[in-house]
Amino acid sequence: MNIDKWGEFTLSSGEKADFFRLGDLRLWLKYKDEEIWIGHQYAGHADSKEALDSPPEDLEWARWAPKEPGNTIKLMPVFPDLPLVVNSEYPLRVNPGASIQIFTRIPVWLRISIGKNDTVLTELPSIKLSRTWFGTPIEGELCFWAITKARRSLSNVERKPHMVSCPIQITNKTEEDLNFDKFCFRVERLKLFVYNEELWSDETRIVYQGEEQYSDINMSGRLPKGMENAKLISPPRKPEHRSLATRTFKMIFDESFLFGK
Amino acid sequence: METYFSEEFLQLSFKIALILIITIPVLFLLRGWARNFFTKKYAPHYGMLAGKLVFYTGLIILVVTIMGQLGISLAPLLGAAGIVGIALGFASQTSVSNIISGLFLIAEQPFKVDDIITVNNTTGVVISIDVLSAKLRTFDNQFVRIPNETLIKTEVRNLTRFPIRRFNAKVSVAYKEDISKVKEILMDVADKNEFALSEPKPIILFDAFGASSIDLLFLVWAPVSEFLQLRNTIQEDIKARFDEEGIEIPFPHVSLYSGSASKAIPIEISDTDSSGSGKFKGRNK
Repeated sequence: MNIDKWGEFTLSSGEKADFFRLGDLRLWLKYKDEEIWIGHQYAGHADSKEALDSPPEDLEWARWAPKEPGNTIKLMPVFPDLPLVVNSEYPLRVNPGASIQIFTRIPVWLRISIGKNDTVLTELPSIKLSRTWFGTPIEGELCFWAITKARRSLSNVERKPHMVSCPIQITNKTEEDLNFDKFCFRVERLKLFVYNEELWSDETRIVYQGEEQYSDINMSGRLPKGMENAKLISPPRKPEHRSLATRTFKMIFDESFLFGK
Repeated sequence: METYFSEEFLQLSFKIALILIITIPVLFLLRGWARNFFTKKYAPHYGMLAGKLVFYTGLIILVVTIMGQLGISLAPLLGAAGIVGIALGFASQTSVSNIISGLFLIAEQPFKVDDIITVNNTTGVVISIDVLSAKLRTFDNQFVRIPNETLIKTEVRNLTRFPIRRFNAKVSVAYKEDISKVKEILMDVADKNEFALSEPKPIILFDAFGASSIDLLFLVWAPVSEFLQLRNTIQEDIKARFDEEGIEIPFPHVSLYSGSASKAIPIEISDTDSSGSGKFKGRNK
């Protein structure tokens, strides 16, 4: 079944495996001999009807022996465990002094946990993302790589249960245009909400201070105005700081590093 | 007993034994604590340095304390040390050179504990940097001791100093292949490989018109910890994909030139002779 409600699920006992689908992720879970069995594959690999009715023969299972036996598991969405370099499909220029709001949609990770303490068994991406390096060849950080449209509005956008909509406000405080085609989005500091049965993150405010300067980033902790009654379902992975100053829009590569033999 | 050991001597011996029994375990404990603390807080390299600093400082204090108990003054010893030092210096040039080189290595930090380095033809993980030598563990699990002096004098290549590394794959294709299609396929292979980074973007360079092939250089980046996986998987991926797409990877071959540009040597098969074997002969047109 498609996962569109988050929370607890009771697994069938014995040999029968329960099937779940989220984005490209195909997930089989079973409770057997007081153990939780988890197997997963990605779209394309396991999309025939036979494969979905019963686990494929080549499926690799991972097994967990919980502290307290029980066939109830919890499926919750969480943000990826690395920042994302969001690559805008069409470059966007923000004029000096302008402040704009854009929306980007990011695939969630599925967290499978059990027990009263929510012991995490595993986390699986709903869509496999490639990784990228945000920085120079000497310093920087490993990120996931995502291509998005950086929309100005999310009306008329197809609802997808595995995508979280992230409102971002960008302010250009310099005297020059901010020409951004990609930026480093620190999703591990964002909260996840359910609003109108869709996943949303709290608003991120980025103040661009210039190419050579760090940008100020602030996680507001709440959804934009007019979106009341949203329910918080996942706290941020890194809750220590609500704001930080860091490189966000551009890291300059010395091309001699890249092209030289 | 009374004849040979006075009460004073026994008291002194007891004192020195007590000092040794108490301080030596404490010294080892302190060294272990410093090593663990700095390893956890910073890196194994700093843990090793802190452990050594604590241990040797403690050892010097212990020796000076025992000498004080024995009534040996340090001043004449230090004076004598000058003369003895010159003699020892000549006798132990190599050791002294290694010790000084070790200090330079610690100050300059061309590598740290847990880095992977190549010295001459030896590649391995740095286990420790000691007073006289650095110790490596090679990937086939051999222990290699390299004198510090050698490390200062020769080229040392640190393979894990920077967070990302580039793999340079040489890809050869037949002259008949469409290079733009080959480039497209290679970029797709990099895109689908889980260890290849999207940025810095993979690059394809036209390297040379080879003797039997067109040689391309396919440059792909990976996190340094996954470099070996990238090297292993991407070449397999290229071979599999080329097979799938019918792209020929040529082996070295030689064309015989028959006198006319690009024309093959004509071959004619003659009638079977009485022995039953066929004959063929070349014909120059």
